[in-house]
Amino acid sequence: MNAIVLPVVLPLLAAFLLPSLARIWSSAARVLGPVLMLVSLCVLWTTWGEHPTPFVVALGGFQPPMGIAFHVDSVAMLFAFLVAGGALLMWPAWTDDDTMPRLAALTLLLVAAATGLALSGDLFNVYVFYELLSVASFGLVSARRTGAAFAAGFRYLVISGFGSVLALLGIALIYLRTGTLNIAHLGQLAPESLADPFGLAAFALLLLGFGVKAELFPVNTWVPEVYAGSSARVAGLLAGVVSKLAVLVVVRMLVVVFPHDETRMLLLILGVVGVLSGELAAWSAKDMRRMLAFSSIGQLGMIFIAFSIPGEAGWVAGLALVLHHLVVKSGLFLIADRWGGALQSLTGAARVSPFTAGLFVLFALSLIGVPPLPGFWAKLQLVIGLVENGNGVYLGALLVFLAATVIEANYLFRLAVAMYAEGASSTVTAPSGGNRIGAAIFAAVLVAAVFLLNPLSEAIDDLAVVGNDATGYMDSLAGGAR
Amino acid sequence: MRKAAALLFTLGLLFLLSVMFLRFELGQAPMRIGKDILAAAPEQVGAANIVTSVVLGYRGLDTLGEIAILFTAATATGLILSGLGGGQRRDPEGGFILRHGADLVFPFLMLVGMYIVVHGHLTPGGGFQGGVVLAAAFFLPLLARPSRAVSHSALGWIEGLAGASFIVIGLWALTLDQAFMTPWLHQGVLGELFSAGTLPLLYLALGLKVGAELASLLAHLAEVEASE
Repeated sequence: MNAIVLPVVLPLLAAFLLPSLARIWSSAARVLGPVLMLVSLCVLWTTWGEHPTPFVVALGGFQPPMGIAFHVDSVAMLFAFLVAGGALLMWPAWTDDDTMPRLAALTLLLVAAATGLALSGDLFNVYVFYELLSVASFGLVSARRTGAAFAAGFRYLVISGFGSVLALLGIALIYLRTGTLNIAHLGQLAPESLADPFGLAAFALLLLGFGVKAELFPVNTWVPEVYAGSSARVAGLLAGVVSKLAVLVVVRMLVVVFPHDETRMLLLILGVVGVLSGELAAWSAKDMRRMLAFSSIGQLGMIFIAFSIPGEAGWVAGLALVLHHLVVKSGLFLIADRWGGALQSLTGAARVSPFTAGLFVLFALSLIGVPPLPGFWAKLQLVIGLVENGNGVYLGALLVFLAATVIEANYLFRLAVAMYAEGASSTVTAPSGGNRIGAAIFAAVLVAAVFLLNPLSEAIDDLAVVGNDATGYMDSLAGGAR
Repeated sequence: MRKAAALLFTLGLLFLLSVMFLRFELGQAPMRIGKDILAAAPEQVGAANIVTSVVLGYRGLDTLGEIAILFTAATATGLILSGLGGGQRRDPEGGFILRHGADLVFPFLMLVGMYIVVHGHLTPGGGFQGGVVLAAAFFLPLLARPSRAVSHSALGWIEGLAGASFIVIGLWALTLDQAFMTPWLHQGVLGELFSAGTLPLLYLALGLKVGAELASLLAHLAEVEASE
């Protein structure tokens, strides 16, 4: 049970030693990170097998709420798996040059922070991991050392720093009101201490702060430049994996501490604006990687709409969209590795690399939601959730969502048709072998999901029950942490 | 359009904050966890400096996160600067007084830094504060004699091993069937130098790491500045 800290702590340990290790034995330093990801996956797997979730680990042996606790339920486990698996598939530090040790160390720090975000049950500890995640991603984003990368990194740094201040202010408000930082304890105290306009303001500040990484509407202006300027794998990691961890933090706070109509409505409205602005910007984008970045804003908006639906239906739709977007967008960014620049240059790209173009069409179809691909099922869950909820605002969100899907279909088809255009010869080169293999693995996962839809939907139903169970989360505190 | 939106957002935020601070009843914050920790810390942790019990005991994982953030910032800076630096230093040597003054002050700075680090669990201070003094001790000779090369590899090893020992001390508790970061040496008598279990060791590792990191970062910045 105590071994659950290893996926957070071992990457930190390795990152501290890696730059020095690389001086004396660089090939070991290069494989250390991916090997550690495998170790993390094994540790998570055996811990999950041996201990029934949820369980609480009191770090330092101090009983929560006095000390920091890891709250491990099946949702947290799922996200920890996704972080380790995603980092393994998109490891950005296979390079041969002098940047490798620092790039690998930063990736390890990113992974440790993301895993910590999934597991931690303490609001301030979440903030510390969020800061670690931010600083590590600043470095990774600027790693190409081009002017565009520096400009994108600087804008990202400013917006992210602003968001962190807001989040810290929100946490300070919450602490001033309740005198505690443990999330389960906050959940118990919330009905008497945080169910007023101050609580709502605190939630809004947390939403804006953690929303920076989750590409939430007003604080997502860094997204297109950063994803276009950084390497494909870093963009894939940030859009595919890291954004989902920020979503998890926000949704946990929503469910456990702030389960009010007003907070859900705030999330819904920001989600709707995100969907609209993201998809419209993607439609007018002139560059494939910018298009993917804007589409990612739109998809994250859909995820926020899903989680704003009260009850388990919202969690089913949200988790389905999270998993689907993680697989598809990561794959798409790997494909787009060398396919940046003007969209016109991709005309006839199918002749340069038929395999990659085929993968693009597969991912695009799933992103639009064409049956029988999993994207259809994920979007169907969202439609069901919105319709079941029946009231006016959610139906309005449904209309926006359907319109956004039409826009999405339009720009993705336009690009796919251009790739297969007759008689044109494209100037682009095929993506590197490693990226093609990575994208193929994501595509294989997507196709496998078509055949495993039944067990998969049952698993997501179980996860949704756990995720939506606020009293279960709070009871684990009283249930005796060790 | 973009500027108007930014202005609107800022005004909204300003309004939210001003309303909050006008209506907030200050001075009546509940001290739920604070009181519990104040009552239990001397018994549970055994550190005379109660801040240390919180920093390395109750919220030890946060502290590990903090040093990781500092390390990340230094690594990211190194990554960005590594393409720019490496040229010959052009700053002139310091004068007689500066050079000999730096030599004279160096051992005292080391002494003060180590004292603050080692007594972190007894008196105000600790790894972060002492580490900064240690970094200053190593940076001062560099200012006086800019031509002297800094061994980045030695600093890297000190920093890496210190950080690793912080984590290994924490992980050792796992072999005793305790949770990560549980203090495991004998608690001793409150207020004595050898007390509070593993906390002084953690602070020593932390001080060395912070010191080496800041020294290396300052040296790195100085090199790039000189080569431009």
